[in-house]
Amino acid sequence: MATIEAIGLSKRYGARDALDGLTFSAEPGEVIGLLGPNGAGKTTTIRLLTTILEPTSGTFAVAGQPGDQPHRIRQRIGVLPESAGYPGRQTGGEYLRYAARLFGQSRRDARSSADRLLGDVGLGDRERTRISAYSRGMKQRLGIARALINDPTVVFLDEPTLGLDPAGQLEVLATIGEIAGQRGATVVLSTHTLTEVEQICHRVLILDHGRLRAAGSIDEIVAGAGSLSAAFLNLTEGAGT
Amino acid sequence: MTGTRWSVVAEQESRELWIGGRGPVLVFGFSLLLSAMTYLAATNRAMNFLEQREAVNLTAQVGLAVGVLLTVVVSADAISGERERGTLEGLLLTPVSRRAIVVGKLAAACTMWLACLVVTLPYLWVLGRGVAGAGQAALLTLVVGTLVAIGLGGIGLLFSAWTNSNKTSLAAGLLLLLVLFAPTQLPALPKTGVGEVITRVNPIGSALHYISQILVSRRAWTQDLSYLVAPAVVTLVVTGVVILAGPRLVRLTAGLR
Repeated sequence: MATIEAIGLSKRYGARDALDGLTFSAEPGEVIGLLGPNGAGKTTTIRLLTTILEPTSGTFAVAGQPGDQPHRIRQRIGVLPESAGYPGRQTGGEYLRYAARLFGQSRRDARSSADRLLGDVGLGDRERTRISAYSRGMKQRLGIARALINDPTVVFLDEPTLGLDPAGQLEVLATIGEIAGQRGATVVLSTHTLTEVEQICHRVLILDHGRLRAAGSIDEIVAGAGSLSAAFLNLTEGAGT
Repeated sequence: MTGTRWSVVAEQESRELWIGGRGPVLVFGFSLLLSAMTYLAATNRAMNFLEQREAVNLTAQVGLAVGVLLTVVVSADAISGERERGTLEGLLLTPVSRRAIVVGKLAAACTMWLACLVVTLPYLWVLGRGVAGAGQAALLTLVVGTLVAIGLGGIGLLFSAWTNSNKTSLAAGLLLLLVLFAPTQLPALPKTGVGEVITRVNPIGSALHYISQILVSRRAWTQDLSYLVAPAVVTLVVTGVVILAGPRLVRLTAGLR
């Protein structure tokens, strides 16, 4: 059974189509790469599927819940937003415990979930450190931990490796692989980095100017073009100019 | 559990306000102001320039006005501030309803009013000793001030939901308070026909007038209840708007759907 099903999903701001008729589906345990130049509609897609924005037209279901039941969808998804802000005065532990409480966990369960996830993302020894003292990579890992606080069926990660050094990128990618492999969750990964997509994504959606240009496995996308970057440039020719 | 998640939001917001936040600094500033005022009121009273009940009334009114001001300052930052800091999206991505978010934030902002009231109590006690007015003044300030703080704090929250910048929402909230507070400084206002109307429709003006009628003119609590109509109506309407329109107002970006 598909964990994500989008049919003709569109979002219009005035005369501008931020997303135009996106149709796709995803299965449990899949890592879907969302590729596209700036302004292609990647973040809009994620915000629509996570119920932050309402679509202008089209329908969708996430984690088996229809789009008109946003609170039910939010109960079953985890999200790392594109430019997530963090309350600098909170410690990593406080941040995760609060998130867990918002998902309906008791104080005891919230503490247990926070401790476990901090350990999972390598921040177990920073539980009492204020977030303002965290490096960018640590904040990203904390954000991923927060996205997993409710044991989600679908995880959306918007540019999770942005601004990280190579070691930090590898750590985050390994964590994403574990989310899909061990937890069986569907992961939607929005990124600019094609090597990341080649490393961990099972399927790819390439967006440009709000339209879906290509969808399929990496082999299918690459076929005939020689490489993923060549295929990407062919499909998004003229973007950003 | 869903029904109680507003309390989770309120608890966390209150913690951020009072532990390492700006709450203690604002209340400390308020206590300095009250100390200076109490000193001046006490010395004036010693020289028979100010009757003891008037000194208590003055302190109660300042406590109410500043307490409401600080409540609006906190509530005006509640949503637009989170937008600016980039933390609102994380909150919106949880299953907590938008309604629970606004109610929780308003409840947390009102803790600022309660803190100001607690700070005011010893000053009322010092100035009201011997005339049995301190206890009455404290209860009166609690009842009337809570009514005004919820209403105007709610308006601050609505400004915050309608704007993307907390500077804009804060400026709008402070401007509103200035407009409402300025007429209360005209001493003869309630004694004229137009002045009476202006006082009655102004939630702050009518609340302060009601307090002074009881504390200074020694009228019964029930005698001038009509002066509480404006604060009560504002509080009911604003609370209704916050609860009913909250889900449409609390969005990632103000104005977009």
